Amino acid sequence: MTDQLQQRPVLKASRFRVSKGLVTMLVALVVLFVLSGSVAPSVFSTNVLFSWLEFGGVLAIIGLGQMLVVQQGGVDLSVPGAVSLAIVISSQVPNGQDSGLPLAIIVGLAYAIGAGLLNAFLVGFIKLNAIIATLGTNALLFGAVLMISGGIPRLSTDALRKIAGGSVSGIPNAFIFALVALALVWLLTKKTVIGRRFEMVGANAAAGNAMGLRTRTHIGLSYLWSQLLYWLAGFLLAGITAQPTAYMGIPYLLPSVAVVVLGGTSLLGGRGFPVGTFFAALFLGFLDQFVLALGVPYAARTLIQAAALALGVTIYTLNWKKMLGGVGKKQNNSPQASAVGAG
Amino acid sequence: MISKKKISLVALALVASSVALAGCSSAPADSGSSSVAGAPDWCGPKKITLGLLDGYGGNSWRLVTTNAGAEEVAKCPSVTKYEYADGQGDTQKSISDIQGMVGKGVNALVVFPDAGEAMLPALRSAFEAGVVTVPYRVFPGGKDGVDYTAWVGADFVTDGQNWANFVKEQFPKGANILFLSGPKGNSQGIDERKGMESVLGGGNYKFIGEAPFEVTNWDPAKTQQVLTAAIAKYPNIDVIASDFGPSLVGALPEFKKAGKSIPTLVTSDGNVLGCFYQDNKAANPKFNLMTVATGNDNVRLAVQYAVAKATGGKVPDSTQFKAPMFENSVTGQPNQVQCRKDLPGDIYLSSQLSADKQAALIKK
Repeated sequence: MTDQLQQRPVLKASRFRVSKGLVTMLVALVVLFVLSGSVAPSVFSTNVLFSWLEFGGVLAIIGLGQMLVVQQGGVDLSVPGAVSLAIVISSQVPNGQDSGLPLAIIVGLAYAIGAGLLNAFLVGFIKLNAIIATLGTNALLFGAVLMISGGIPRLSTDALRKIAGGSVSGIPNAFIFALVALALVWLLTKKTVIGRRFEMVGANAAAGNAMGLRTRTHIGLSYLWSQLLYWLAGFLLAGITAQPTAYMGIPYLLPSVAVVVLGGTSLLGGRGFPVGTFFAALFLGFLDQFVLALGVPYAARTLIQAAALALGVTIYTLNWKKMLGGVGKKQNNSPQASAVGAG
Repeated sequence: MISKKKISLVALALVASSVALAGCSSAPADSGSSSVAGAPDWCGPKKITLGLLDGYGGNSWRLVTTNAGAEEVAKCPSVTKYEYADGQGDTQKSISDIQGMVGKGVNALVVFPDAGEAMLPALRSAFEAGVVTVPYRVFPGGKDGVDYTAWVGADFVTDGQNWANFVKEQFPKGANILFLSGPKGNSQGIDERKGMESVLGGGNYKFIGEAPFEVTNWDPAKTQQVLTAAIAKYPNIDVIASDFGPSLVGALPEFKKAGKSIPTLVTSDGNVLGCFYQDNKAANPKFNLMTVATGNDNVRLAVQYAVAKATGGKVPDSTQFKAPMFENSVTGQPNQVQCRKDLPGDIYLSSQLSADKQAALIKK
């Protein structure tokens, strides 16, 4: 039980406590910026930066959804199906007509809520293993993708392209959507009673249960909140790429988990780190653009990305103090440290 | 109830036997192959079941291709049952699709082996089980008559040569060419590169970016990122070559964002691309467009071949599909750039499947 309570260390020197995941990501981003400046300066052209914020924002939104599930000790493997379905509905329902867009939003959200409730029921209430249950849901969602589109989404409408692919004074709209999503997730989980309960259940479901919290509801509904975020990401992706394909959600599964872990949230559940997750998504996005700008072969790109991921996780998963010989200080592992701390 | 059922059974039997008789009566006695009256000569009298397998069915090009295949199958009444399966980009699923169809007892298989050589063992086992097996478009390795009945390939080298000839006309003194294709190592991209190099070899023509091509996985999001990075990295891109033109429409505006003209584009056709050209030509002085037909009709040749072999019809002379040139914005030969604004963007005006039929498919 104490294992679950031993959260990632939090730096306490400043007034606002900053998670180690966030610090790691910020440092990594700065290092990558400096490195790019010397070996791949083309990454700093306005175009590339724009594209980075656009796709990084989409990944951040998906990552925030995954984080809500992971902090309840689960994992959501229905990301590919959910994102692909949102893309297909956003382009198929309006079928090129802007007037059909509101309906597409309603239908898309309805499917997202349906999928979320299904996962909530399977994992939260009948307590199936999250991996198995969400994998099943993923297959169902792909069934819906094929049923609705025959595997082929249409071109996005002009309005959708403007909403998702446009910009406000140089900042991509998709990135602004991501910032709003971040603010919402942060406020709701950190500053509301229900959010604090949500985190409490994630940190220790048994303790939450003993306190009379509705643990099953909190765990289950995390899958619903995440589906809503996946829908937003899919909706934006459909607009960013004028001609989306039906399986565009597939490449997002592993990165969605990676940004959660990089951002500092434990796969065992516990506190969520939305800001850390957000910057981890920006970091992975920038890494993408960096290796492209580097102009190295595709195989090397993949290796560099994998190495960066491994390094990033290692930096704060290993107990460096112990490895370096302890330096005489005992680690502060007091359970109260972070379980319900503001972040 | 019962009498109705009986009547309909008798009717069915009558229709079936008359079709069979028609098949017999039209068979010329002096030839090895025979065909059904009113059907093309590749349609023989033997009744068969045919399966069409796609490795990845997730874009409109494939939808049109699949329907062109189905349209071709429908011309031959000897094909009594037609089945379709989509591998969804998953090699294992594609392999089990083949095995499933063989298990169900199909007589002929037409396969788009996206995964290349990874599909060869499955193709071979189907062939060895006595099924007429015709992989098409992508080369799966192996040999005709040994690993499968015959490979009905597209001649991508010719596509590359056609593009290169246009580049040579437009840039006699040399050019920087950025070539985008699909997944790493796909044989289509490699052949196209060969074709381009055979024409442009040496001299002042320089391929920029990764060799043999920049990897985009034919994913529009990836294409956009790759193109953005390339525009920032290489100040002078004279030509973009791409084997899936319509997927560039989302990415080409990156040039505008960078304050540059869209360069010359050599690629395959698509309604959305033609319309994009017409809308953006004026603002982009360096934007010229040359396309080859996107090759939806490759599948027709493969279907003809498979049906002919399985039903005893006349086997087509060639097993190579050469995509014709389609649009040329400079000479207008064989066509000026085509755009049908009244029809959806994701149809292919070069296809034999009529534009309106494609539109109906897509509106469905």
